Amino acid sequence: MKLPLLEYHAPQTVEGVLDLLDEHGDEAKVIAGGQSLMPMMAMRLARPAQLIDINGVSTLGGIDEQGGVLAFGATTREREAERSRLVAERLPVLAEALPFIGHVSIRNRGTIGGSIAHADASAELPAIALITDAQIVVRSRRGERTIAADDFFVSHYTTTLSDDECLVEVRMPTGPSGAGWSFQEVARRPGDFALVGAIAMVALDEDAAIDRARICLFGVSDRPVRAAEVEAALAGATASLDAFDAAASDAAEYLEPASDMHGSSAYRRHLARVTVRRALTRAAQRAGAPL
Amino acid sequence: MEQVGARSVGARVMRVEDPRILTGRGRYVDDVVLPDMLHAAFLRSPIPHGRLLGVDASEARRLQGVVAVYTGEEIQRLTTAAQAGAETGMNAMPNMKSPTFHALATDKVRHIGDPLALVVAESRYIAEDALELIVEDIEMLDPIVSYEDALDPAKPPVFDELGDNIYLTAAMSFGDADAAFAAADRIVRASIDVHRHQPVPMECRGLIASWDPVAEHLTVHASTQSPHMMRMILPAQVGIPMDQIRVIAQDVGGGFGLKNSVTREDVAIVAAAKDLGRPVKWIEDRLEHLATGGQAREEMADLEAAVTADGVILGVRMDIKVNIGAYPSDPFPGAIQCYTIIMSFQGPTRLQALDARSIALFSNKGTYVSYRGPWATADFLRERLLDIVASELGIDPLDIRRRNYVVRDEPPLAMLTGQPFVGVTTQESVEQAALLIGWEGFRQRQRAARAEGRYLGIGMASYLEAAPGPRVPGQEGPDVMGDETTYLSVEDGGKIVIVTRQQPHGQGHETTLAQVAADELGVRFDDITVRYGDTDITPVAIVGTGGSRAATMANGAVLHASRELREKIMTLAADVLEANAADLELAAGVISVKGSPAVTLSLAELTRIVHEEPERLPSDAERSLSVTRTFDGGSPGWSGGTHSCIVEVDMETGLVNFERYLVVEDCGVPVNPAIVEGQIRGGVAQAIGAVLLEHAAYDDEGQYVAASFMDYLLPTTDIVPRIEIHHVETVETDPDVNFRGVGEGGMIVAPAAITNAIEDALAPFGARILGQHLPPARILELTGTVVDR
Repeated sequence: MKLPLLEYHAPQTVEGVLDLLDEHGDEAKVIAGGQSLMPMMAMRLARPAQLIDINGVSTLGGIDEQGGVLAFGATTREREAERSRLVAERLPVLAEALPFIGHVSIRNRGTIGGSIAHADASAELPAIALITDAQIVVRSRRGERTIAADDFFVSHYTTTLSDDECLVEVRMPTGPSGAGWSFQEVARRPGDFALVGAIAMVALDEDAAIDRARICLFGVSDRPVRAAEVEAALAGATASLDAFDAAASDAAEYLEPASDMHGSSAYRRHLARVTVRRALTRAAQRAGAPL
Repeated sequence: MEQVGARSVGARVMRVEDPRILTGRGRYVDDVVLPDMLHAAFLRSPIPHGRLLGVDASEARRLQGVVAVYTGEEIQRLTTAAQAGAETGMNAMPNMKSPTFHALATDKVRHIGDPLALVVAESRYIAEDALELIVEDIEMLDPIVSYEDALDPAKPPVFDELGDNIYLTAAMSFGDADAAFAAADRIVRASIDVHRHQPVPMECRGLIASWDPVAEHLTVHASTQSPHMMRMILPAQVGIPMDQIRVIAQDVGGGFGLKNSVTREDVAIVAAAKDLGRPVKWIEDRLEHLATGGQAREEMADLEAAVTADGVILGVRMDIKVNIGAYPSDPFPGAIQCYTIIMSFQGPTRLQALDARSIALFSNKGTYVSYRGPWATADFLRERLLDIVASELGIDPLDIRRRNYVVRDEPPLAMLTGQPFVGVTTQESVEQAALLIGWEGFRQRQRAARAEGRYLGIGMASYLEAAPGPRVPGQEGPDVMGDETTYLSVEDGGKIVIVTRQQPHGQGHETTLAQVAADELGVRFDDITVRYGDTDITPVAIVGTGGSRAATMANGAVLHASRELREKIMTLAADVLEANAADLELAAGVISVKGSPAVTLSLAELTRIVHEEPERLPSDAERSLSVTRTFDGGSPGWSGGTHSCIVEVDMETGLVNFERYLVVEDCGVPVNPAIVEGQIRGGVAQAIGAVLLEHAAYDDEGQYVAASFMDYLLPTTDIVPRIEIHHVETVETDPDVNFRGVGEGGMIVAPAAITNAIEDALAPFGARILGQHLPPARILELTGTVVDR
């Protein structure tokens, strides 16, 4: 478990990062918190020839509010977001999700941008990005582009980020106002990657019927997924335990999660149903539904 | 330091080891750096079973920084193949076929991680780079994974020369099983499966071998529980006589039995160091360790119990299979569990007859090693069987224990094996546990919770632990594990030095042995040093620290040695003080004359006189302040106790939470209650891991799939509950030494207590738990919530 030989770079500016990416392309890998990449390199599962450390780029950190959007610099530590008053107030679902990521020592190093760029299908932050309809800002020498979360995640550890691009910012919309959110995860131990997780958002209209609902599942496929049809079917419905139970069944029905030593596909599908139901119920309660 | 009165024994003395270890100043094998030292890495088989057609290391040998690459061919030249257990006679037990094998694979690969080649380089980084340049050619064979595979004559044997995969068979019969079954009102049957999991010490394996070609002397720095065992086993394989070998072990980061073995990697590293004439270090990493460091406990048993209508188990017939993996562990091969499980099955019950057969099978899995309570499957089988009988007869699990466990001083007075039930406190521990956990009121609470959709369960299990346990009548002197010798001396400044053959690796012997000596000698605890871990200075031991024996054996040896040394001190002091030895007192390192407090002689001054002015000591007494004392165990009693817990199972997710976990135990007189409780808590934590989390998983193709800590899940602090520990009043069996072993009890009984509680929680679903491994997915399969398609 020793790293293979590689060349290490520590640029101090975004331009410096982009120059190196432009020069080395797929030979290079960007490292921030290193909580996934370091063990993968030590096990020689990842073996970039060039390692570009962006921890020294001071402009890449920090959390900003910009008109209904929370913008996270790529190197913002998960622990910083977890302790942020801004996050707690504006994006409570993120605050609720963060403690599920590993342990404190992991979150002290791990970054928002790193987790999203790494795109583990069982990880919390890609799912949060997907349910908040986050925009992911990436830059290269060719310019800057903004990618919707749904267009960013492709498959296991695979995104639409090009070899010469660096993720620089994640913008998470905080609305709709008055919505209730809930994050539910089942793992073998606290801090483990999820067996299955579900996140829900429920916004009620003036008559206390469901105005809008969102559902995101993770750990059930090769990337986090939204249950779009179920979301659409819930719009206009009355918030009730029966409605949420039916919605959860529908959301889980067509999933084909992978089996592994921690549980069969059938078990994970069952957990999808349980976590979606719990997430919708809790979210609706938080939105003010009398359940 | 806390003191209880003037005595050190019985006090929660702070461990003298802790400041060193907790501040990162422990000295583990990887901290040892020798001049000119090289670093090793092993190429390991990615295939579970195959014929090894060739290993091409030519490109690896050309890599800059690589000093040597050894393949099976070179190892055959440098070492002699051996049979595991040759030093202990455990290679040639009745009905046993032992394979002979080398440190590296020569003809076949036999499990994932089987070492194929050894690279020695200027750094571990370069060594790992070189591994990637070696090309192996392996022809795949059918993998032997399950018991069925191993017993299938159509499948290839793991060791061709043995003809099949049967390592050992055993049959043992006690009492009259036919009569017991004839007298039974009912026969209860169950096939119970104990799954493969592993010890996983915090520090993996590792050693540094250093050969001095001029002195023709080998020094090995090792992470081991048994330095002397390593010194005994190496000569036959590496061709260096024992008297030219020194093994040193300093801080060892856990072992749990695994580090009692001398492994193939140890032999290969020593051979390389001798061949190169330079020190070679190998530090096993976690990936290597999980796949190859040693696994344990893959056993299953078909049980048949002859039961009376009121739930008393009269007799048991038992058929046991043990999957011992590929290469047997040296010197204690997994096949010995064929005997230990049978011999330990009865535990504290009044069983009248036991008729048992067992078979040890080879497979393409990692080596089966000793793991904390190696016979633990016996306790799991018995305590599960009691609950299954209780459930089939509609008897409460507490009552079934009251009816089946022996009552002290009432017949039977001995186990079927002949070992007397002297001083057993099982019934007392059962009653105390039931009272403390609120067994009586629980059922009502359980019903109320179920009405709310919450599933609580209560469980209990008891055990006896022989460490070493009472003597069978007629048995004199030491048992098979040997007696215990200790050296004790007074050194300059009146400091006491204990030299023990124990090899502490977490047990705190530097603290506990000093506590015993402090009381017996009348010296200050801080003036005592415990030395260990160097075969040049320590008494010979087959096992350094293992089998929970230190409490009785090492403390007993120190106690008797201290008394002997005290007598020597008093005799010599009497000369100096011109007093009668019988009138002298020794306290806090100062000798005084009873009734004349002004007349004193410090132990420091006495030592100076013995060393520098022996002429002041005119009597015939030996002018020496050292003793060697051997202790045969005295008249030992049982350790034992009862665990009880309450769990809550989330029937939607299958996750298990502990509401309460309590232990009522009897380990004789605890030298240091804090250390005793630490041992128990550690064992319970491992048991929680064993039942709920850990699983040394192989897929059907023999691929090891729990290869990292992402998949091999250890119990963490947020899973393990607070563990309450209570003690029952012990029955003293020896006039002097009533300290009893406590290292294994937690781990051997807790898996059954936990599983019993989970089955109780699942009772509304009619679930019967026959497999020990209970991840959440399995729980929901047991309840019928999820069907594994």
